[in-house]
Amino acid sequence: MRKFAVILACAVLCLFVGTALAEEVVKIGHTVSLTGGASMWGQSEKRALEMLIEKLNAEGGVLGKKIVLVSYDNRNDAVEAVNVARRLVEDGVVAVIGPAQSGNAIASAPILEKAQVPMVVTTATNPYVTLDKKTEKIRPFAFRPCFIDPFQGTVAARFAFRDLKAKTASILYDVGSDYGQWLAKYFEEAFVKEGGQVVAKEAFRTDELDYRAQLGKMKELNPDVIFIPTSQKEAAMAAKQARDLGIKAVLLGTDNWGSPDLIELGGSAIDGGFFVNLTDLADPDIQDFVAEYRQKFGEDPVLPNPVMAQDALLLIVDSIKRANSFEGPKVAEAMANTVGLKVTSGTLTIDPTTHDPLDKPAVIQKVDVTNNAFPFHMKFYPQDVK
Amino acid sequence: MLLQTLITGLSIGGIYALMAVGYSLVFSVLNFSNFAHGAVIMLGAYIGLGVVRFLAPALLPAVAIAMIGAGVLAVLNERLAYSLLRRRKAPSLYLMISAMGCAVLLENLVYATIGSRFYAYPEFFATSVVTLAGSTVSLLDLFAFIFSIGAIGGLHLFLTRTKTGIAIRAGVADMTMCSLMGVNLDRLIAVVFFLAGAFAGVAGIFLGIKYLVYPTMGWITNKAYIAAVIGGLGSLPGALIGGLILGIVETLVSTYISSVYRDLFSFGLLIALLLYLPNGLLGRETGEKV
Repeated sequence: MRKFAVILACAVLCLFVGTALAEEVVKIGHTVSLTGGASMWGQSEKRALEMLIEKLNAEGGVLGKKIVLVSYDNRNDAVEAVNVARRLVEDGVVAVIGPAQSGNAIASAPILEKAQVPMVVTTATNPYVTLDKKTEKIRPFAFRPCFIDPFQGTVAARFAFRDLKAKTASILYDVGSDYGQWLAKYFEEAFVKEGGQVVAKEAFRTDELDYRAQLGKMKELNPDVIFIPTSQKEAAMAAKQARDLGIKAVLLGTDNWGSPDLIELGGSAIDGGFFVNLTDLADPDIQDFVAEYRQKFGEDPVLPNPVMAQDALLLIVDSIKRANSFEGPKVAEAMANTVGLKVTSGTLTIDPTTHDPLDKPAVIQKVDVTNNAFPFHMKFYPQDVK
Repeated sequence: MLLQTLITGLSIGGIYALMAVGYSLVFSVLNFSNFAHGAVIMLGAYIGLGVVRFLAPALLPAVAIAMIGAGVLAVLNERLAYSLLRRRKAPSLYLMISAMGCAVLLENLVYATIGSRFYAYPEFFATSVVTLAGSTVSLLDLFAFIFSIGAIGGLHLFLTRTKTGIAIRAGVADMTMCSLMGVNLDRLIAVVFFLAGAFAGVAGIFLGIKYLVYPTMGWITNKAYIAAVIGGLGSLPGALIGGLILGIVETLVSTYISSVYRDLFSFGLLIALLLYLPNGLLGRETGEKV
């Protein structure tokens, strides 16, 4: 009996201590790919968030509470992303950063919406992340600090037509990815609108390694550019196989190409290619961040995710402050009315009708194999392609 | 366009054939599908990559060491995971399940130790191409194709002209009888696994050069397995022919119909073949063999 009383006393004590601790911190959820094909960005993203949280907490946290990051690995898998979203809701986070991929973000959105937890994705650029596809209505709890794919596709098409002087283009895309499928569509629409011609649009299935059949078909049609809206792994393989077939077209990619290992994987085949990105290492706005990251971790951040994740965190913290509350609906309302917030990538203004940023430019980077770099080529602002 | 499609199909088929040989070799002796073969191919690719990065940046030493390394790993795999089952006369289904377990285990071992990132081999042949009547084939594909055919031919000679080869073929015909005649079965099986592993090593390097190196790359062997079944599991010429047919069919479908339908045709071909030719094109009757 005495033993039981001791256990009970301990339990009660734990409960008190637990609540006391809980009151001093605020949990921010983070759903991220720490393993799998996208782990390079995921790991870098997590480091950048921890680096920023350390700084924010040193300045007193948010509304007097210390920020705690709760990161779970979604393995870049939609099913796992749903599980992670549920777990974060159970953990009682006030807002969620991520996921970085459109497919995973679209899968997670309904769960966080139901729990009224604001979600700020990092680099998910598909329109249906913040827009409900069925009802065509804005998702009240979904936001993003990055540009969206119609803009990215338009920028790629305009760059191809006006700057590369391409008259014909072909598209190689992953039919199993929301990202690739929609970008292929947006690029095609914009390129045709510019006056160009899309001579071939060939798909492959996720995890396929050989695209020579598709590329062989393109070779006959001899396009000026080949648009490949995939991640760096597929782009590298497609580039090698295209050059093996003797295809000389300029290769054009999207923000998922922007991984430091693109050059290692693609070798000389990928040289001279271009891709659209959210930000780049040479961007004057992020030099302080890059320097701080380098100093702390001894290597370059894997862009753009770390920058976008910091933007997301700053948006969450600022919205909590303006709402003067940790309640989801109030924070989301404040988020929708963000104007000119200073973030890592520059400034952030959220469009209340779309929950997308109004002022995020896109950069074009060139693939320079000789110098192992992606030099900045040019920049497009939203008003440029209107 | 047709010539280019056929050339591409042949070069894809050549790699399928190289991988299918390993399945067929093990099946011919132990009568089970060694699904760990894909994982050994993946390890072969990593061994070759290690050689190229840390020892000698040349293709031939990488191929040689990867062949030996993957061969030894395949023998170890057999010793640790299959030999006990084999001695207990377990049904071949259990061996197959054990092989699947090995595949996942090895894959996760690589995840845990080397990590999930992608690696590429340096460019041995840059992107030099050979032009043939308006169609192009890369030097690497040509080399891989000739090497595959040569290696499969060499294996065939080994099995028909050497004493060990004859012992293996005797084992294929009747293992109990073979052991009664004084053949050391454990040694024989070790030789078979070493050969299968050596082929896995070469296949791994070619896959790594052609595509990329990463822990789950072994799953492409699903296709090689289909090639082996089409050609007739257990038959070496069958593995070669099955691989080439599959490569050409896939490329034709991707080019003239749609790449999205490619696997529909590959697997459809497999099912149709199993219905009408259950032993594959060149397979032997396996019904009575247990």
